[in-house]
Amino acid sequence: MMGILLNRETKAVVQGITGRIGSIQASWMLQYGTGIVAGVTPGKGGAEVHGLPVYDDVYETVEKHDANASVIFVPAAFIKDAVLEAIDAGLKLIVAISEHVPVHDVLKMKRAAENNAVWLLGPNTPGIITPGVGKLGIMPGNMFKEGSIGIISRSGTLSYEVAGLINEAGFGESTLAGVGGDPVVGTRMVRLLKEFESDPDTEAVVIVGEIGGNSEEEAAEFIEEMSKPVVAYIAGRTAPSGRRMGHAGAIISKGGGAGTVDSKERALREAGALLAEKPGDVAGLLKRALK
Amino acid sequence: MKLLEYQGKKLFADSGIAVPAGETADTPGQAARIAGEIGPEAVLKAQVPVGGRGKAGGIKIVSGSAVTAEAASILGMQIKDHRVEKLLVEEKLSAEQEIYLGLIVDTDTGSIVVLFSPKGGVDIEEVAEKEPDQVFRLIVDPFIIPPRYRLRRFIRQGGYRGKLLEELTSVAEKLLKLALKSDLLVAEINPLMVLADGRVLAGDSKVEIDDNALFRQQFEKRFWEEQDPLEQEAREIGVTYVKLDGSIGVIASGAGLAMTTMDLLKEAGHEPANFLETGGGITEELLYKAFRLVCKNEKVNSVIINLYGGVNPIEKGARGVVRALSEMDNPPVVVAKALGNKQEECWDVFREGGVSVVTAVETEAAVRELLKRIS
Repeated sequence: MMGILLNRETKAVVQGITGRIGSIQASWMLQYGTGIVAGVTPGKGGAEVHGLPVYDDVYETVEKHDANASVIFVPAAFIKDAVLEAIDAGLKLIVAISEHVPVHDVLKMKRAAENNAVWLLGPNTPGIITPGVGKLGIMPGNMFKEGSIGIISRSGTLSYEVAGLINEAGFGESTLAGVGGDPVVGTRMVRLLKEFESDPDTEAVVIVGEIGGNSEEEAAEFIEEMSKPVVAYIAGRTAPSGRRMGHAGAIISKGGGAGTVDSKERALREAGALLAEKPGDVAGLLKRALK
Repeated sequence: MKLLEYQGKKLFADSGIAVPAGETADTPGQAARIAGEIGPEAVLKAQVPVGGRGKAGGIKIVSGSAVTAEAASILGMQIKDHRVEKLLVEEKLSAEQEIYLGLIVDTDTGSIVVLFSPKGGVDIEEVAEKEPDQVFRLIVDPFIIPPRYRLRRFIRQGGYRGKLLEELTSVAEKLLKLALKSDLLVAEINPLMVLADGRVLAGDSKVEIDDNALFRQQFEKRFWEEQDPLEQEAREIGVTYVKLDGSIGVIASGAGLAMTTMDLLKEAGHEPANFLETGGGITEELLYKAFRLVCKNEKVNSVIINLYGGVNPIEKGARGVVRALSEMDNPPVVVAKALGNKQEECWDVFREGGVSVVTAVETEAAVRELLKRIS
């Protein structure tokens, strides 16, 4: 099994490896068999964590280990610089786990990633897992299984539930990629859909979406051209709307309720995706689509 | 965090954007004193964080002895779920022109967008819909603040020239710098008033600060005290909480999981009492406080808990819930689904504390169990 983005060629570093969470998560990612080559914590160069060498910056991990990916566990206040450094050092897959990152910082991270053709997952993501190959993130490895279903999710824990139900039905995952739950994230769903469409190990894709924004609507435009079936579940039908934007928001999102469950489901259905009313329906729809 | 009008205007004034002379009042007496100092006429404006105040009777032009009675009628008024507890008493100004100037973080494109329309005022949404060519947009690269000449060209599209163009450009520049410096998600001036003497003032403010950036902002403390008490408490605990109308409390680790739980309750014909998302890093203390917070809503008679544990053993969270329950005189019915690190220990703690445990993967199973328990 290969899956997308995270594969046997991945040589990842853990930024923030000497922190409590970074250290524990690094050990779990190593146990899972992930290709991790080093850790980074400024001021701790020369140390060792779980047998991994620790460097003061990301650049040195590229010089010494050909690092090409990173998973970042630093406090929200420092995540922007950690991501920009990783991009500047030339890494091509960056997973930003932290939640509560200021939006203005995310705008910069996202723009820099786009300008440099970098895959930035997050912030506020569980990360990415290619079962049997590795994981860069905090998802429990034992909740996933090798298989041929690609999952794209805006939600961490809800995607664990969906994966669990898919596995109970006899399927497994090629890759699960969490784009992140924040209003602005580094990667749009549609880019991941394109990867799954061209991945020989993926037979079908499940989208775990949420209300807000237009990334599901945008994804729908590509689903129309896809050869592989797509099943989608969108959370938030009963969430109260309009808690935030003023006139400025209303102006931008004019044109008929983009962001609601109805809008997303309509766009996805018209594009040919199968819509699950609840997480428990996803596996049944996959069976029908792959029959 | 949404700011009230007067709070937003304070930020504007600090940034050099002119606002009408005025002060806030908590009582009719205070309002009368401030109005007397302002002049023969004044405007009373209810301070609530929602639009439509004028139509609801929350904005009045007053003069002379009528001030006290009018202030008394607005204070205590209910506007869209918000009780009016504060008035802004301002000088009465006549605008020759009302302009719209706004700035927003556009989450879809991941950019900052500056919006401008010469047709500002209460009908801006209608203008945006019916005359979209009268609303101008400037997309800002987060790494590059547009230089003044770019802003000038942007504003000139509204048909302005000379001194007024320079004034408006200056306000746009100040608003943009304020938004970047203060981590604003929304910064809107509508109307931006142009007076007969050429002065340009912010007639209203709509400002929202990014909660995630409060740690690096200096002004938070002076505004926090004015927020909704339950939401303020949630912010202090470190969880996201939204109060709803039903009687079933919801606690979940993750927004998607919380919304799915709410959706399933509603589909089964029941109403959630709240949305509560714990975020990662579940501890005993966090769940203890979160559970108590949910139960402070008097309507709550049952709670559904839906958790995945990570680095912190999930059993710690269970201890927090059970401790909170043991301190309650009228404990609610509680059903928990909890998976992850130390889940078996977690289930034992819940069961010993009188909580029904669902061990299935499906949230639906927990919802069914809860409905069985409360029927």
